[in-house]
Amino acid sequence: MGSFAELMHFAERYLPYLAGGFAVTLAIAALSVPLALGWSLPILLCRLARRRWLAGAAAAYIEVMRNTPLLIQMYLIYFGLPLFHVFLSGFMCGVLAITLQHGAFLAEVLRAGVESVSARQWDAARAIGMRSRTAFRLVVLPQALVKMLPPLGNQLIVLVKDTSLVSAIGVMEVTLSGKMIIERTGGSYEVFVAVALFYLTMTTALGAGLRVAERRLAVRFG
Amino acid sequence: MFHVLIISLPYLLKGAAITVWLSLATISLGTLLGFALGTVGAVGPRPVRAAVAVYVFVLRGVPILVVMFLGYYVFPALGYKVDAYVAVGAAMVVYVGAFVSEIVRGAILAVPSSQIAAARSLGMRRWPMLREVVLPQAFRLATPPLLNTALTTVKQTSYVSVVGAWELSYAAREVVERTLAAFEIFLGVMVLYFIICYPLSLAARHLERRYAFAS
Repeated sequence: MGSFAELMHFAERYLPYLAGGFAVTLAIAALSVPLALGWSLPILLCRLARRRWLAGAAAAYIEVMRNTPLLIQMYLIYFGLPLFHVFLSGFMCGVLAITLQHGAFLAEVLRAGVESVSARQWDAARAIGMRSRTAFRLVVLPQALVKMLPPLGNQLIVLVKDTSLVSAIGVMEVTLSGKMIIERTGGSYEVFVAVALFYLTMTTALGAGLRVAERRLAVRFG
Repeated sequence: MFHVLIISLPYLLKGAAITVWLSLATISLGTLLGFALGTVGAVGPRPVRAAVAVYVFVLRGVPILVVMFLGYYVFPALGYKVDAYVAVGAAMVVYVGAFVSEIVRGAILAVPSSQIAAARSLGMRRWPMLREVVLPQAFRLATPPLLNTALTTVKQTSYVSVVGAWELSYAAREVVERTLAAFEIFLGVMVLYFIICYPLSLAARHLERRYAFAS
């Protein structure tokens, strides 16, 4: 990819093929992020529950997700569900696997945030007569949010990068598009430089957005 | 019910052995690279620090699978014929190196400046101070996140099967293609990965707790 002319030639030749892949990757990410955040809340509530078996079940779930590769979880869902007469598209299986795995990681991030708020804050809120729910909402949660946002942002960036794995179950997102272009048109590694730049732009934009949110939150509650 | 899994177990275990070897090789080489980069990234001259920062920024923003594909296609394009393991292994080392370097750099910068002032006032030069005072303390801070990175790396070795290198995940797909017993094979393979990963994850948590208590 030496000269400008070559670069233009490259863009003209491959970008139309990659554009569809970009769109699919963005769709997977846009769907998985809110779903994983939503799924993390019930896991968190179970993990913090007073009932032993509930907390134990949530902890076991988190351990399984933490200690096995997302790729195998995705295979299990994509190739395993049809045996039980459940037929989902590759796209939906990918979103489901990412949601299940990252929901567990996000729940751990949230838990660390809640537990980082000192017990004295709880006591103080209770001492001035707040109910525990009010204390959580007005005292603990704002402080926890400020603390958990940086690790939460990191985890979301990992999630966005993990959308590339959906290529392994045949979904034509940007990584698989790159591979197909190389195999069918005799293109070279430059295609993957373009793919990498796309991901870098996406993760950098997400990171920048999260930093703005961090600053706003810190001004408001910090 | 699990008889396909039991029959295929020897084949899968061969794959697990490759997974373990690949993990050990990429974690150790990646950690070495990361220590070198992280150290010069913290205390090196300014242009070197900037170069390390760019390296880390780029790799942390890109999925490891894409870096593996890059490694897989870039060697032939440059005229080198290399084994698939070497290509994806090199990609993993470069990737792990970036993450380790960020941990090491952060740990070095987290050593209190009073420690450096004390070492200076004892008349220590730059390199002995680094070796005797800063790095040992930084290492302690870095150990739990390093173990977490190692855990992530073990799981990421499964992605090399997507690029075309044979290991546990690749073996699992082969068995499923022959027997169609997707559910029990992938469930069994999850258990194998769990057995490899769980000790690392326990060690990481144990050290996290111990060091959090000590500080």
